[in-house]
Amino acid sequence: MSNYNNEMVEKFRGNFLKEVEANVEEGDWVKMCMQCGVCSGSCPLGPHWEHPPQEIFMLIRANKREEVLNSSSMWMCTSCYNCIARCPRGLPITHIMHGLATYAKRLGLAPKQQATAKFAQLFWDNLVKTGRVNELKLGLSLYFMNGIGEGIKTSLKMKDIGLGMLKTKRMSPMEMLGGHGCKDAKGLHAILKKAKEIEEAKIGIHGA
Amino acid sequence: MSEVIATNQTILVVGGGISGLTAALEAAECGKQVILVEKNPSVGGRVSQLYKYFPKLCMPSCGLEINLRRLKANKNLRLLTMTEVTHVEGDTGNYTVTLKTTPRYVNENCTACGECAKVVETEFASEYNYGLGKRKGAYLNHPMAHPQRYILDARIIGTPDADKAKAACKYDAIELDMQPAETQLTVGAIIWATGWKPYDAAKIQPYGYDRYPNVITSVEFERMADPFGPTGGKLLRPGDGKEAKNVAFIQCAGSRDVNHLAHCSRICCMATLKQTTYLREKYADDFKSTVYYIDIRAIDRIDDFYQRVQADTNITFTKSKVANITQDKDGNPVLHGVDTEGYHRYSNPHDLCVLAVGMEPSVPKDGFPMSIKLNPEGFVEQDPANGGFFAAGCSSDALDVNRAVQSATASALRAIQVVNKVAGMEG
Amino acid sequence: MADAKIGAYICKGCGLGERLETKQLVTIATREGKAGVAKEHDFLCSAAGVEMIQNDINNEGVNRVVIAACSRRAKTEAFAFDGEITLSRVNLREGVIWVRPDTDEARETTEEMAADYVRMGCAEAKYMTPPASAQEKGSNNHLLVVGGGMSGMTAAIEAAKAGYPVTIVEKTGALGGAAANFYKRIPDRSPYAEPMDTGIDAMIKTIEADAKISVKLNSTITKTSGAPGSFSADITTESGATSTENFGAIIMASGFKSYDMNLLPELGGGKSPDVVDQMGLEKLAKAANGGAIKRPSDGREIKKVIFVQCAGQRSEKEGHLSYCSGHCCSTSIKQAMYFKDQNPDIETDILFTDLRTPGAPGEDFYRSGQEKGITFRKGVVSDVSPAGGSLKVKFKDLILNEEISDEADLVVLATGQVANAGVDIEAVKQDEPGEWKVNADSILNMNYRQGKDLPHLKHGFNDSHFICFPYETRRTGIYTCGPVRRPMDIQQAIEDATGAALKAIQAMENAQLGRAAHPRSGDLSYPSFRKEGCTQCKRCTVECPFGAIDEDERRYPVFNESRCRRCGTCMGACPVRVISFENYSVETVGQQLKAVDMPDEFSEKPRILVLACENDAYPALDMAAQQGMQYSAFTRVIPVRCLGSVNTIWITDALNSGYDGAILMGCQKGDNYQCHFVKGSELAHMRMSKIDDTLKTLNLEQERVATYEVAITDIKRAPQLIEDMAATIEKIGMSPFKF
Repeated sequence: MSNYNNEMVEKFRGNFLKEVEANVEEGDWVKMCMQCGVCSGSCPLGPHWEHPPQEIFMLIRANKREEVLNSSSMWMCTSCYNCIARCPRGLPITHIMHGLATYAKRLGLAPKQQATAKFAQLFWDNLVKTGRVNELKLGLSLYFMNGIGEGIKTSLKMKDIGLGMLKTKRMSPMEMLGGHGCKDAKGLHAILKKAKEIEEAKIGIHGA
Repeated sequence: MSEVIATNQTILVVGGGISGLTAALEAAECGKQVILVEKNPSVGGRVSQLYKYFPKLCMPSCGLEINLRRLKANKNLRLLTMTEVTHVEGDTGNYTVTLKTTPRYVNENCTACGECAKVVETEFASEYNYGLGKRKGAYLNHPMAHPQRYILDARIIGTPDADKAKAACKYDAIELDMQPAETQLTVGAIIWATGWKPYDAAKIQPYGYDRYPNVITSVEFERMADPFGPTGGKLLRPGDGKEAKNVAFIQCAGSRDVNHLAHCSRICCMATLKQTTYLREKYADDFKSTVYYIDIRAIDRIDDFYQRVQADTNITFTKSKVANITQDKDGNPVLHGVDTEGYHRYSNPHDLCVLAVGMEPSVPKDGFPMSIKLNPEGFVEQDPANGGFFAAGCSSDALDVNRAVQSATASALRAIQVVNKVAGMEG
Repeated sequence: MADAKIGAYICKGCGLGERLETKQLVTIATREGKAGVAKEHDFLCSAAGVEMIQNDINNEGVNRVVIAACSRRAKTEAFAFDGEITLSRVNLREGVIWVRPDTDEARETTEEMAADYVRMGCAEAKYMTPPASAQEKGSNNHLLVVGGGMSGMTAAIEAAKAGYPVTIVEKTGALGGAAANFYKRIPDRSPYAEPMDTGIDAMIKTIEADAKISVKLNSTITKTSGAPGSFSADITTESGATSTENFGAIIMASGFKSYDMNLLPELGGGKSPDVVDQMGLEKLAKAANGGAIKRPSDGREIKKVIFVQCAGQRSEKEGHLSYCSGHCCSTSIKQAMYFKDQNPDIETDILFTDLRTPGAPGEDFYRSGQEKGITFRKGVVSDVSPAGGSLKVKFKDLILNEEISDEADLVVLATGQVANAGVDIEAVKQDEPGEWKVNADSILNMNYRQGKDLPHLKHGFNDSHFICFPYETRRTGIYTCGPVRRPMDIQQAIEDATGAALKAIQAMENAQLGRAAHPRSGDLSYPSFRKEGCTQCKRCTVECPFGAIDEDERRYPVFNESRCRRCGTCMGACPVRVISFENYSVETVGQQLKAVDMPDEFSEKPRILVLACENDAYPALDMAAQQGMQYSAFTRVIPVRCLGSVNTIWITDALNSGYDGAILMGCQKGDNYQCHFVKGSELAHMRMSKIDDTLKTLNLEQERVATYEVAITDIKRAPQLIEDMAATIEKIGMSPFKF
């Protein structure tokens, strides 16, 4: 992907705002921010943001490409929509944050050990396999996300909950063996492939 | 009421606030016949509810006194209070206007001796004080109310209070059977000066105006600062009556916000700066104040007032639109947000939080008595299609008093152009 | 004129009948007040009461009406009689019974108070004559507009539309002024999104087609004299030819100069042709006319423009402008749009500290600018300097809290507007009478005693000092509009010029009827002057706040009645008391205070004289009464037009005739003065500071005379000041001057 990154750097000649407008979902709105900061104050995860949304918008306008794309900030968004509800300029901030995160990942610039990013990838991989989320596998892959030792520890810690869920038939151990999926997983894969092609063409990723 | 005489050379001014008063007086002092209608029992409008003006910190009642003297002395001007325009027909130079007058239940005989108010017992929330405090069912809004004539609240009509009031009046001024009246007039030009109303702060959900007693609006704070207001000039928290010495001001409360009023209301920054000086006036050095703002709009030559307030070390300016307000166990509003100058997160408790509410034009967007060009914000546009109809003051845009008076003076000339043309044609 | 005949009418309504011996008051009016007719009435302001008085005016020859009832501020419309009469209002309600307790002990002193006020009312009436209106009524209704820019043209067009002939005098060879150099203007119509045509060409066409408007180009005013309704102006062309024309009123629309950006070298001003001010950019845009704006230095394509807001403005630095010019934020947005509309790829950054785009038009325009991709950064610029073929801009981004160094092809400095207000009359020496010379820097070259141009107010603008009265001028009949009054954009200038045109028309209409302009609108009285007694001391000519009084070659005052605003400052100033109005004079007040029945030294009934400004202190006392507050029954209040009209003789007379104390209540003075006659309160304070000598001569204590600033809202304080004086007198004892 770093090839793609270089291409984009080249294409937008250091105009990061233009790049965001072209390649990021709802990126067109970034210029409309008037730096009131109500989004930054409204975020329930606020204190965990290195750069709050309004500052990210300013950084984009100030051409701070690396600082934004390397940031873990937009990965903090939990889609509570407080910011959108309150933004006096009507910016779809939640969507822009997700858009920026996705874009950073595409460029290969997203922080490597970012937990939300990892979870998102696991969730996606889990989902697209069969067209349905396999909760047991997703849960376990989460536990073991940071290695075997931590995985065992977490599993033991969660075992009572797991057994409880088994008992009440909220979870089936059989899911470990492939599990159930949607009717036409092949068809789904084809759809997703096509969607990916369209999207990548739109933002200038060639033959990736 | 004696008969109202009007012709197509008469100018009708709708609204008796500072803009309408000015437009009416300026036109009348040019020798024109003017009819001024006011919905409320007395003229003066919102400026009569202000304690002081920015930036001179002088008293609005001083200018009002001069305008009232001009009004009382001018025979070209006819004032109709408790009257609204319900319908307008016709075109430039020849409008037929329907007026509706609500009964005051007190006639011109009233000497404002106040005997009726002494005997009436029922009390109502005071509109003049934005609901802070009460007034009697027979009342005079404020000492400078003009006409200086009492009014009986319609809600006491038919109760023993009304009879008591009537019995107390020695001048046969109380008419309990007074009925609403409808009048039709011919006028040549119309000046619309119905002003503004404070934006409904309860609609700004995160600020909890409807939930927290110690979150109030700027217009309420203004009434509190007035020595003749509901708290006798003391800045008291409505929640517990404690003196408010650490006061937060939130700018753009409802303004510059597509969820509320898209426009900037222009006056709120200066009004807040002015209100911070009330704290120093009342408490000397024993106060703290924080102004939360997006941009301080102390426009043109009055910027030095901002510089003066900035120099006051007890007053802090934080560039931030406050995200939300909670309330702590002592009833203090706690303001949460981010200072965007360098990213500082805050959760600041204050004794009192004042919302600098925006100006909403008092121009009915729907159901306007005639077809008029309004802009999306609801202000009247200066458009040739409006014919002999001209907006003055805050019906035309969010304006401060100085600019509203300028606008009113200009609209007086525009109306005079219409009636002079009529006069010219009719020889 | 018929002989003076006083009709005194005592009202018994509003409790007056119960609280006072009104029959006794009738007797006093007749015997002591010498009233030809004296009556009491149950309800004087009723139709019957008013009819009774009107009947006496019509049939009994009453021409000095004394109404002893409520305050002059109440029932004004009811007591508006027809006929050539004077009206005195004796304030028995707010001035007596409402401020006194209804007790047996208080009854005697309350009665005395009422009786004195009736005596005073009759004394005043005796010395008043009905105002006959000014004798020099000017009848000219031709408007002179000085300056042919946006403001001047608007004033001319709007006045002509109302039917008044106008002459525009323009210094340059063309109409249009500063705005003629603008490419476009800030929009004044919704959706307030795009810069719009300035409209200058259309206005010029309108003016050329209007037979009511004549234009004199390449011309200046070399002399202005006269008064509203009868101004005379010398109009001199570049070649020196002068014509003298007559006008009814004058509008001064002399506009602004841009602050000189060469005074801002730190922002690159004067250091590179690629640093321009806003006016400079307008010229570039106008030349480009919708095409690409090129770099002035080398004609190269512009890729990035930085706009520096508040350049040399809102700054306390020496030589900078301390104010904000109001329009520059919107102007920079408009100018950035010139670039964006032509080529959206051009980067335009606006560096500001507070973005000031007020109202609906402002905020919409700001949003439109953002939509077009203009970048707004809150930042303070410290340095702009040429570097390697472009410009380096150093600033602190206040949001990112970071020092930034950026590059641009063009930098636009938003410098402020400086009023083109002519000479500062406070700073230059006045010509001697008879030696008047043309001053090339003056706009109006007035031959007024007080100087050639209008007084400069804050920051050198010809603004009005008053919030409620933005057109209140200090030179009657001469109004300013546009950026000479305060910094503004085109839209505001149009509004302002339209308002000024109305005021000018009003001044001409007033002059024709011989009545005063604001704030004593409609007043027909005017000052008369007895030349025989005059000592040519010049106090009246110097102190007149409106420049109404000139001096002749022998230094005698020359009154210009139509310029006069009837405040009486001249009357207060005159040491030999030769200036008076028909219904307001040294005598009308002096006789009132002497009419008071003075109890002897041992009566323990002191007398306190209160002279109260009729606009603020007097209403404050009225409202105190309304609120049920009380003050000493020994008080005798006389309203005055302005504290500036208070002649020290009144104080001397009061002390000589046995008053124990005197209080003067006027408006706030100083920078934020509230006196609508400008300096009345200040002058009174100054004059009273000299009363100490008089007190010493009389061997009286200084505390017996006090001068206060009282606001109309001092409803609690005003009565308290009276109470304080009563307490002081109790402490220092009664005046020995009781005869």
